[in-house]
Order: sequence, then C-alpha cells, then structure tokens
Amino acid sequence: MTRLLGHSALLVALFVAAVGMVLAPIAVRRTRDDLVRAMYTATYAVFALVTVATFAMIYALITHDFSVGYVAQVGSRATPLFYTIISLWGALEGSILFWAWVLTLLSALVVFWNREREGALIPYTTMTMLAVSVFFLILLVGPADPFTLVSPTPADGPGPNPLLQNHILMGVHPPLLYLGYVGMTVPFAFAVGAMAAGEVASDDWIRLSRRWTLGAWAFLTAAIIAGMWWSYEVLGWGGYWAWDPVENASFMPWLTATAFLHSVMVQERRGMLKLWNLNLIVATFALTILGTFLTRSGVLSSVHAFGEGPIGMYFLVAIALTLLVSFALVAGNSEALASEGRLDGVAARETIFLLNNLMLTAFTFTVLVGTLFPIVAEALRGVKVSVGEPFFNKMTLPLCASLLFLMGVGPALPWRRASKEVVRRQLLPPVVGAVVGAIAAIGAGARHPYAVLSFAFAAFALVANIREYVTGITARMRLRNEDALTALGRLVGANRRRYGGYVAHFGVIAVALAIAASATFRAEYEATVKKGASMPAGAFEVKLLDVYAREEPQRSRIAASVAILKDGKEIGRLDPAMNFYPTSQQPIPTPDVRSRPWGDIYLNLMAFKQDGSDATLKVIVEPLVPWIWVGGGILCLGAIISMFPTRRRSTAWLGATAADVRVAPSPVAGGGAIMASESLEGAD
Amino acid sequence: MRARLWFVAAAWGGALFSGAVRPIAAQQTTAGAALADSGIVGERSAPVSNDPVLEEKTRQVASELRCPVCQGNSIQDSPSELAQEMKGVVRDQLASGKSPDEVKAYFVAKYGEWILLEPKASGFNLVAYLLPVVMVAAGGLVIWRAVTKWTNAAKSGDESSPE
Repeated sequence: MTRLLGHSALLVALFVAAVGMVLAPIAVRRTRDDLVRAMYTATYAVFALVTVATFAMIYALITHDFSVGYVAQVGSRATPLFYTIISLWGALEGSILFWAWVLTLLSALVVFWNREREGALIPYTTMTMLAVSVFFLILLVGPADPFTLVSPTPADGPGPNPLLQNHILMGVHPPLLYLGYVGMTVPFAFAVGAMAAGEVASDDWIRLSRRWTLGAWAFLTAAIIAGMWWSYEVLGWGGYWAWDPVENASFMPWLTATAFLHSVMVQERRGMLKLWNLNLIVATFALTILGTFLTRSGVLSSVHAFGEGPIGMYFLVAIALTLLVSFALVAGNSEALASEGRLDGVAARETIFLLNNLMLTAFTFTVLVGTLFPIVAEALRGVKVSVGEPFFNKMTLPLCASLLFLMGVGPALPWRRASKEVVRRQLLPPVVGAVVGAIAAIGAGARHPYAVLSFAFAAFALVANIREYVTGITARMRLRNEDALTALGRLVGANRRRYGGYVAHFGVIAVALAIAASATFRAEYEATVKKGASMPAGAFEVKLLDVYAREEPQRSRIAASVAILKDGKEIGRLDPAMNFYPTSQQPIPTPDVRSRPWGDIYLNLMAFKQDGSDATLKVIVEPLVPWIWVGGGILCLGAIISMFPTRRRSTAWLGATAADVRVAPSPVAGGGAIMASESLEGAD
Repeated sequence: MRARLWFVAAAWGGALFSGAVRPIAAQQTTAGAALADSGIVGERSAPVSNDPVLEEKTRQVASELRCPVCQGNSIQDSPSELAQEMKGVVRDQLASGKSPDEVKAYFVAKYGEWILLEPKASGFNLVAYLLPVVMVAAGGLVIWRAVTKWTNAAKSGDESSPE
C-alpha cells in the first residue's frame, strides 16, 4: 500500500512536471497569463506529490515495511528510531528522493515569492527548475526507484552502513549539504531564465538570485564544516579533511560559488564581468551534478559510492545537456553580455576581485584535476594511481596563502583606483600585523615556510578586516556622537552586504588559523598501556583505568576508560571505543575528544588484549581545532547578515550610487574622498 | 563528549541538541570475562617501539602510503587492522636499515603504483602537476591584458574622475 502510494505519486509528479515545463515557452510566446498560472500550479502540485512520496518512504522505514526495496536495503529492526529515519539519505535511492523533495520545495518557493512579477523571466526560471526536477523524477521512476517490490518480504534487513549510524552529525550533514547543493540550482535557473527571456542585460535577475546564492552558499558552507566535524568525530584518524572525492565534490561548487559572490559585486557596481559571472553560475550547477555523478555512480570508490547502478550514464547525459544548453544560450546572448570595462588604475579593488576569482577558479581546477586524474590515468595507461592528501596539500597551499593575502588587500583598496599614498596608508597596519603573526608563529616553534606564511597572512587579513570596522565605527562616533555599539549596529545595518562579507572573512580566518595550527603543532603519541599504568602525551599523562565491553541492540562495543592527567591531577575522563556491527568485517573506531578553546585532546582505541589487561592508545594533541567549527558558524553568520536587505532610510546620501565617488566628505566618513566613496557602497 | 557541546553550541545554535538519539546503554560489565563472552573474536594488538627517531621516520613513510581498505586515508591515519600491520612492516624495515625510498619501493612492488598517495612526478603523472600551474599562468595573463586594456580605455575615454 505504502509502496504503491509512493510510486504512483512519483509517476504523477513526473508527468505534471513535464507538462508544466512545456507550458512555459507556449505561455510566454502567446502571452497567455492563464497558462503561466497553470505552470505555477503545476510546480506546487509537483512539490505536494514528491512530499507524499517522501513521507510514504519515511513511513515505510519506521514501520519496517521490508516489501519496499529501499527499506529492505537499509532498514533493520535493531536500528534506533533516529537512525532509521535518517537512513532516508543513507543510500542512493533514498538520497535521490530526498534531493528531489528539496528541489521541488525550492521550486515552489521560487514561484511563490515571485509569482506576481511581470515578464518572461519567472516563467522561464520555473521551466528550468521543472526541467531539473524532471531529470531527478526520471531517475526515481527508473534506475533509482526506491519503491521496488521485494517478494517474498524478508523478515529483517541489514540496517544502514555502520559508519552512517555511528554519530548524530549524520542527521545534520546530509540535509545541509542537499540544501546547499540543490540550492545552487536556483541561481542557475534564474540565469537560464534570464537568457531565455532575453533579459540578461538588466541586472534584475542577479538581484533576484543573489539572496538564493547566498543562502545556498551558507548551507553548503555549514554542510562542509559539519562533514569535516563528522570525519573528525567518527573516523578516528584525528583529521578532518582527507581530500576524499566526496569531500572534493562538495568543495568545488563551494569554491565557484564563492568566486561568484565576489565577482558579482564588480558586475553590480561597474557593469563588468557579466559573461564571466554567468559562466560561474553554470559551472557551480554543473559541478553539483558532476559531484553527484562522481560519488554516486561508483566511478570512484569511496564510502559514499554505495551502489553501482546504471545511474552514471544518466548523470553524464545531464551534465552534457546542461553545458550544451547553457553555452548555446550564452552564445545567443553574447551581445547583451558584452561589457566594456574601465579602470582608472591597476591598484584598485576590481583588480583584487579578478585575482581572487583567478585563485578560486584555479583552486577548483586543481581539485578537479586531482579528483579525476585516477580515472583518466586508468583509462589511458591502464595503471591505477592514487591522488591523495600529499598531492593536494602541495598543490593548494600556495593558493590558500594567496587567497588569505588577497582577503586582506581587497577590503583595504578603494574601487576604481588608489594612489600610492593611499595604498601605503591602507596596507601599513595589516603588514605590521603580518610581521607580528610571523614572529608569533616562529616563536611558537613553526619552522615550515608555509606554516609561517599562513599565520602571517591570516594576521594580515585579520588586521585589514578589523580595521574596516574600526574606521567605520570611529567615523560615526565622531560625526554623529553615537556610542560604539550603536555605531557598529548602524554601520552594519546601513551596508549589510559589505560588513556581512567581512564577518565571513573572519570565519575564513578562524578556519585557516585553526587548520594551520592543528597541522603545524599536532603531536601524536601511541603506546600500549597496561591497566592502571599511564603513558606520557606531551604536557599530559594518559592513564588506562579499564577496558570494558557493552552489548547494545545493534552492535557490541569495546571501550577503554581513560583518565587525562596534568601535573598529576586528573582533568578529564574519556572513553574511546571500537564498535562491532554484525554487518561489517571491520570494527568501527569511535574516538573520544576533550575539547577546549585552545585545543583538543583526541583519543583513539587502536587495539586491546582479549582479557582486558592492556590497550593500545593513540593520543593526538591538536591546538585550536574547535575554531574550525566556530569559524564555520561565523562564515554562516556573515552570509546571513549579507542576505537581509539594507534598511532604506530617507537620507539622501544612502541613496547615492557608485557613480558618486566624488562626493565631498559625507556625514558618515570623515576620512576624505576615499572613505566617502567607501561608505556609500551600493545599498541593495 | 557531551561536555564539549557548550563550546560550539553558541556557534551552531542548538541545531545539535537532540540528545534523544543516543542509544540507551545496555548493562555495562567490566573487562575480563565480559570481553570473552561478548562474542568478539580475535584481539587486536599494535606494536609500538620506544625509539622516537624511528617512530618519526615511520610516521613520515606511513603517511605517504595508502591504506588499501579505507577511503583514501594513509596507513598512518587509518585505524584499520591492515593499516596497523602495514605500519608495523614499515617500522621493521626502517629498523633493519632500509631507507624510506626503499621501503616505499617495496610497497609499490607489492601493491602497484596505487599504494603511493602522491603520484610520482614523472611521465604521464606530470599532467596532474602541470595543468593547474598552466591554468594559473594563463589566467594571470588574461587578467593582466584585461586590466591594461581597461586602464587604457579609461585614459583615452572621458576624463577620469578627479580624486
């Protein structure tokens, strides 16, 4: 019953979505408002139908209805309820279903919020969203059908992949990732819609899609950080980023979307880079599909490539179609997209934005090359090679360092041009910060040039971005007699995008510092310890109190009870464990971590004696790691601040545009023309 | 474990506060007999030497070799049993006086090129190393030309805004 309901809902949804998609060009050509409205209704209907199918699947999972193919694949009566529900995205078919649900939800929202707009933009945007939905619905009724009939009905199932039912973050990371991943479809749909409607020259669609891009970007950021955290908490190696194809797949669209968020500012203020921005949007969407293809088709084997179905070809066709249609549309709109740039001097913010885009694009390209190289090498040479962490670190560290550096230069330079004197004045404090950062790093014992550089550039960027706030606040305090907090609030309120962007920069700096510190100063200690004895671990002592076993419904657990001592005093207890699942040959290690703002003590149980008399422990002392997670939060906060529209106030100067660079010292900024132009940065 | 949530809760805004998901602990027994009864067969042991120099060298080599059973982790990072054994082999070979390169060559002979986490920068593999460099150079050239073109356009066009 549940099976039939879900299956038929998907079939009808596919039909409705296909019809709705076809309506768009007819409705626009013949200016038939009733057809446009019918298409919007179709979008809502598709969302309702996919919702029914998704809830049917969740119901089937909870009731352990093993006649449903997907439930027989991932369900098990012993699995706790929470993990039963989240096994909806634990394997291929379920995650495609969830993907389709998020996609149709976003499509419905796009329609709902823009249904009153005149013109062809929204109909064509809706058409694009429906076209992408059609693709996923085809997968769901064909090669990735989660509602297949299993006969005879099995009594029980294997349960989800042990790795995926070992930590609560598995309930957080995938939904965030899908919201981010699928969210990138919306700006793509707006771009295609604008090109199809011939409205690409006006910046309307950019304004409409910008908030969507920021929202999707925030979710993707949160998802990547949550994935790092999961990796850190579950896999037991004390790291958070392995350059695994799955991680790379989520990182590449993030990089291109980040590039877009920066270069779109150049387009809005100066009317330049229109073509480039369109290409970035298309690339971001194509990379989400490519990432899904890489991780789901089994072409690269990793823990996420669950099944090896015929699904790979479908994705390849989808990628090819995406690129073909996009490039055809871009070519057709090339005249509208031509923009004549003007720049009064080389040392200007525009140049920094260009370099930032170069670095981010090169970064994406490097990750793409490294990810695809094993496939290419195997296809051409017949030799399997690995491209792993050492390669990626070597290739991307220079890019990371350049990006940190640019992050400090960009905010410090004005638009259009900067005189030598201004450059010197603006960059002096950050340079002092960089020197202090380098000295501090060397003092702390960093010797590797890249380590010292990372700390120096992070400090450089930190000072530059703090200074933007300080100048803005002090100018307001002086001129308007506001106290510091009011000034801060109004400064951000008057220009959320810019100051939200700086907040995001602080998040990046926190993550960069944490990664640099934990990579540079990480110390590992491994020893086999007898019960009651202890092993030294840097400034700490680790004492093995006990090794014990515990039976749980779905697994057995062997854990060590360990006391952390400092100067002979106990400062904490940890219980690193190994979980044995009946379905998996390998035990799943479950590390335990003591987290403090200045760093983590990470403990892993590597081995144990059968009689519990001793255990081999790996202790990893990693400074600043928690700041990666905090930095992720700050990044999202920055995106949220930037998303909200700027409060419009009736003061004339806020209505000023970028062209008014020559404005005399404005009420906000007493710092001369440069500061004046800065404080007038385009309000939404 | 739970005690550290206070620190990140501020950043992640309570999204992780669903403590209800931890499976309820069954009765807990102490080691010894319970381990034997738990149905878990085979103990795991990992030899560790007490020579810090050797351990450091082992760590170096082990972080460049791929663990065959996990997803792209090195045998240094992987907690799997096989990785532990391989790391033991690395340690023994280094202790017997082999150089790190000889140890790596031994593993390549045994498992193929695939075991090296970083492809040797020679022959066809150079493509992976050079493509990104070429791309940065080409991109830099494009930007440089665009910027010079734009600054010239501004100079020859209408008067630039006086500062």
